[in-house]
Amino acid sequence: MAFTFSTLIQQIINGLSLGSVYALIAVGYSLVYSILLFSNFAHGGFLVVGGYACYFLLTQWGYGVAVSMTGALFASGLTAVITERLAYKPIRERTSITLYLLIASMGVNIIIENLFVVTVGGRIRALPQNTFPTGVFNLFGGVALSASDIISLVTAVIFLSLLQIFLNRTRWGLAIRAAACDIRTAGLMGVNVTFLISLVFFVAGVLAAVGGIFLSVRYSLYPQLGSITTKAFVAAVIGGLGSLPGAVVGSLILGLAEMLTAGFISSQMRDLVVYSLLVIMLLIRPAGFFGKTISEKI
Amino acid sequence: MKRNIILIIIGLCLALWPLGGYQEGIVILMCINCVAAMGVSILTGFTGIFTLGHAAYMALGAYTTAIMTVRYGVHWLPAVIAGGLMAVIIAWLIGVPTLKLTGDYYAIASIGLGEAIRLILENWQSFTRGSRGFPGIDPYTTRVMAVTIFILLAILMFNMLDSRLGRELKASRDDSTAASLMGFNTPHTRMKALVISAFYCGIAGSMLGGYMSFIQPSMFDMMKSTELTAVVVFGGLGSMSGSILGSAAITLIMEYFRDISQYRMLIYGLLLVIIMVFRPEGLLGSHEVWDFMRFNFRKEADKNA
Amino acid sequence: MLELSHVDMFFGGIAALHDMSFTIHKGELMGIIGPNGAGKTTIFNIISGVYMPTAGTIYFQGSDITPLKAYQINRLGIARTFQNLRLFTRSTVLENVMTSAQNRYINTYKEEFFTGNISRTNAPDPESWYSFIESCLHLGRWKKTEQVLRFKSMKLLERVGLADRANQIAGTLPYGMQRRLEIARALALSPKLLMLDEPAAGMNPEEVFELNDLITGIHKDFDLTTLVIEHHMDLIMKICPHIICLNFGAKIAEGSSEEIQNNPEVLAAYLGSDEEEVI
Repeated sequence: MAFTFSTLIQQIINGLSLGSVYALIAVGYSLVYSILLFSNFAHGGFLVVGGYACYFLLTQWGYGVAVSMTGALFASGLTAVITERLAYKPIRERTSITLYLLIASMGVNIIIENLFVVTVGGRIRALPQNTFPTGVFNLFGGVALSASDIISLVTAVIFLSLLQIFLNRTRWGLAIRAAACDIRTAGLMGVNVTFLISLVFFVAGVLAAVGGIFLSVRYSLYPQLGSITTKAFVAAVIGGLGSLPGAVVGSLILGLAEMLTAGFISSQMRDLVVYSLLVIMLLIRPAGFFGKTISEKI
Repeated sequence: MKRNIILIIIGLCLALWPLGGYQEGIVILMCINCVAAMGVSILTGFTGIFTLGHAAYMALGAYTTAIMTVRYGVHWLPAVIAGGLMAVIIAWLIGVPTLKLTGDYYAIASIGLGEAIRLILENWQSFTRGSRGFPGIDPYTTRVMAVTIFILLAILMFNMLDSRLGRELKASRDDSTAASLMGFNTPHTRMKALVISAFYCGIAGSMLGGYMSFIQPSMFDMMKSTELTAVVVFGGLGSMSGSILGSAAITLIMEYFRDISQYRMLIYGLLLVIIMVFRPEGLLGSHEVWDFMRFNFRKEADKNA
Repeated sequence: MLELSHVDMFFGGIAALHDMSFTIHKGELMGIIGPNGAGKTTIFNIISGVYMPTAGTIYFQGSDITPLKAYQINRLGIARTFQNLRLFTRSTVLENVMTSAQNRYINTYKEEFFTGNISRTNAPDPESWYSFIESCLHLGRWKKTEQVLRFKSMKLLERVGLADRANQIAGTLPYGMQRRLEIARALALSPKLLMLDEPAAGMNPEEVFELNDLITGIHKDFDLTTLVIEHHMDLIMKICPHIICLNFGAKIAEGSSEEIQNNPEVLAAYLGSDEEEVI
């Protein structure tokens, strides 16, 4: 593949667009990590719930795009809250070993994925073409900027700004930030920790659903779609686990790296580059770009 | 000594009990899974290093053995050992830089490393035939061979744990700072655990290749790695016999649900969550089977010492 | 035996220790006192190699141990306990002691003929060591060594009064016993220098009284040099002939217990920070 300027621009656009979807997923994942300090592998499941909810609301029940999307966000948010209450809360109350939460989250992910396999089948579905505007703007030199690229970027910016406002300007946002520093102390200071954790999961679920809808528009919808969250985890780690700006930066870096590799080397090398980036980052700076290194008191 | 004799008797039963072809297959699969589970158990259960990429070591073992036997006509026994050693070498190369990482960070790095190894196998078409898979492997994994290897490795493993090495690993698991202040070179300790665990998984992979006659990179994906770790947690972190029993149980449960295969994974997921919620310490906790059987015996041994 | 020479330790600009110098001679039982946050535990962390000091040098038996890693320092014969207990909680009491008993090292010191430098070799104590192959096969030295380790460890447990608990999981022991187990575990390394970090924390007066006897007893019987941190003043005053007092990371007084008790700066440090701790 020859290096051309237009390919570069094209892949940067694609990379930012993909990165913005990663960011939505990674931020939710990082949010949960910042509070409970475990990698919530069920996050991919929330995303799939969002995708399917949107699909069925649109196609089977014939609701409009706005209603379907709102419904999808709620469905996914509720799934996250229910998961927290049924699976994580009993474990949290019993031990402080986060490994158990991590494994339970894998279990939840497998359950959600296979619930869809069993009930609606594993076949690949596509959201109806008219869900989003599909126009393509041809820029200079054959560079195409599709409407879905713009929408995903804009939506990501909107949702992430909303999250930022929520965290910085509201009482519950303050409580979440306090809990991210030290959840036990926050509890002692009168924060309703149970509600707070549910809230965090709800927000994470909503963000995952947004990502899920975009992914099912951009690619297609199938029960294993959630496995793409692995990449969002990678992004969150590169940015710094538990740090929200880190998750966004990491996602954009990852999106760009992936698309530039696809454009200039080969698309088979994409994933290899992603995982190499992860390992290199962990070796150089395990706390990521924005993470804090925690030192233990002896 | 008693333990070894019991293991050998179990081995003889497994190897010589008259079984049909189908049951024989299950026994072989059980042995393979148990060997892999022992490998992950010594790392996750006894050293406290949580891995989500150990399927890659199985893949390395499987491919090494397959390529040696098919391409170069090597006898399966040295090829299987070479499979284990290949996993050891790669584990060592990987471990030097990455074992500095602790907690979730190593787990995430292991996802990356595991996936990277799988992707390399997938993309190295000329050598591994890529994602189409590698067919035509001699079915060298017979029941007798699988059971023998399993029992042999189990005896070695239990011996290792019941020695200075076992205590060293557990010390580094329970409190690695305290361990280093008791004179253990803890990075070294972690490396020992990783290398041993890679050896076991490599051997398990080699055996799997010989059992299936066909291997494919997608057999060793993250799902498989997760399963390996989940089985160990199911059996009980810090219990080797628990890991073996857990692995055997899961293999049987999965076989039992073979007919309703679409529900298999669903049941598996439910099982994981239910165990974590109701019995997170796993089947046996951190006890071994004989802790329940001969508690008094042990006490007497201490008195006599 | 151990000498700290102008040691500084900074954590991000905050001085945890400043210009700390003191010497412990062989066979001494020395106490370090000071209010919370005075830098007592930091001294232990620096000596045992958890942290590398920002500046200054630490000498042990005449050689510079400042750049060594924690496990290397330990192998030279420095053992410690921890303020917030750090047992191998999921192993049994006996295993805890055996774990460190297997880690004995024999140090031989040799003076270079020409340069006069002292070189040191570390070799595992053959009585408590066997190879990996022997571990796997349970052959050769395995059986004998394990018996020896078990025997020695049981003796230590008897000494600290935990012999009847040998098969209990360490994490399930009551607090005071865990403290004593930590001491047994440190002794199992047969150290030359034993450092006890707040051994009486969380103990009731009766237990403290027993601990007094234990510390002075092992100090004598095991031919140890002992360094004790405490903010229980009375424990230190009773058992330690040589005491230094810290405040804000600096040494404010050094001397015998009477000298310390009558030192106005010490009184000020304690009264100024926390009245309750003056007893």
